[in-house]
Amino acid sequence: MNLEFFTMSGYGIYVWSAFIFTFFACLVLFFKTKKSLDRLEKDFKQEVEKLSKEQVETLNTGKISKEILTTQAKAK
Amino acid sequence: MLDFLNPANLFVFLNKLSKLIKIIIIPLLIVSLIFALVTSPEDYIQGDSVRIMYVHVPASWIALACFSFIGFFTILNFLFKFKNALLIYKSLAPIGFTFCLISIVTGSVWGQPTWGTFWAWDARLTSMLVLLFFYVLFIFSYKFIKDQNTSSKISSLISVLGLINLFIIKYSVELWSTLHQPSSVKVFGETSVHKSMLLPLSSMLLVFLVYCALIFLMKYRTEIIRMKKKGLKRL
Repeated sequence: MNLEFFTMSGYGIYVWSAFIFTFFACLVLFFKTKKSLDRLEKDFKQEVEKLSKEQVETLNTGKISKEILTTQAKAK
Repeated sequence: MLDFLNPANLFVFLNKLSKLIKIIIIPLLIVSLIFALVTSPEDYIQGDSVRIMYVHVPASWIALACFSFIGFFTILNFLFKFKNALLIYKSLAPIGFTFCLISIVTGSVWGQPTWGTFWAWDARLTSMLVLLFFYVLFIFSYKFIKDQNTSSKISSLISVLGLINLFIIKYSVELWSTLHQPSSVKVFGETSVHKSMLLPLSSMLLVFLVYCALIFLMKYRTEIIRMKKKGLKRL
C-alpha cells in the first residue's frame, strides 16, 4: 500500500490524530448513550413485572409503555 | 397529520427512524471518508493538513447549532412550561458538548502545522473554550439540581449567557485580530472553498448530522422512559 497515504507529506500525524480523536469521541458518546438506554429499558421492564395484573393492563393501554416492553422482549 | 404528532405515535416512529439511521450511517461514513482522505486535493499552502477541516468545520457548526437550539428550547420551557422542550434540550446538550470538544481538539491539532502552536489565547479559540464551559455548566444545571423550578431558572440563565457568547464566537474573527481565519463558507455571500473540497466537507457534515440524529433519538427515548418510569410509581 502507498505509504504516502499514511504519511501525507509529513502531516499524517496531525490528520490521523484529528480523525481518530473525532471517531473515538463519537463512539464513546454512542456507547454511553446506548448503555444508559438499555439499562433504563431493563429497569422499566423489571418494575413492570412487579406490578399487579390490573396495573399492567392499565399500562398496556399506552402505546409508549407497550413499545418499550416490546423492544426489551426483542432484545432478549 | 395531528394523530401522527401524538407523542405515542411519534415515539413509535422515532424508534423506526433510529433503526433506519443505524443502517445508512456506515456506508455514508465510508463514502465520506474516501472523499475526505483520498479523493479531495491537498491545499496549495497548507498541504494535506487541510483534511482536518473535514472534521473540524462540521463539528464547530454542530456545536454552535446545538447551543442555539438549546437556548431556544430552554427559553421556551422557561416561558411556557413546554414539557417537550425539556426533553429536547436534555437530549441535545451532550451532543453539543461532544462536538464542541471535537472542534477545540481538532482545531488545536490543525493549529500546530498551520500556526506553529497548539493553542493561542485569541478571541475565536477562547470564546469556543468558553462555549465548552457553558455546555458543562448547562449539563450540571439539570443533572445535579433536583428541584425542577430552580434547575429551569439556572439553565435558562446559562443558555441566555451562552447565546451571547455565540455572537462573540461568530464575530470574533471580524472584531479582533485573531490567528483564526474568517469563515470561508458563507450562506449569504461568496464561498471561497473550491468545489472539490466542498463535496467532502458537505458529505462529512451529512454524516455528522445523521449521527447527531441517531444520538438525539436515543437520548430522547431515554428521557421518555425515565419520565414513564416515574409514572409507574403513580399507578
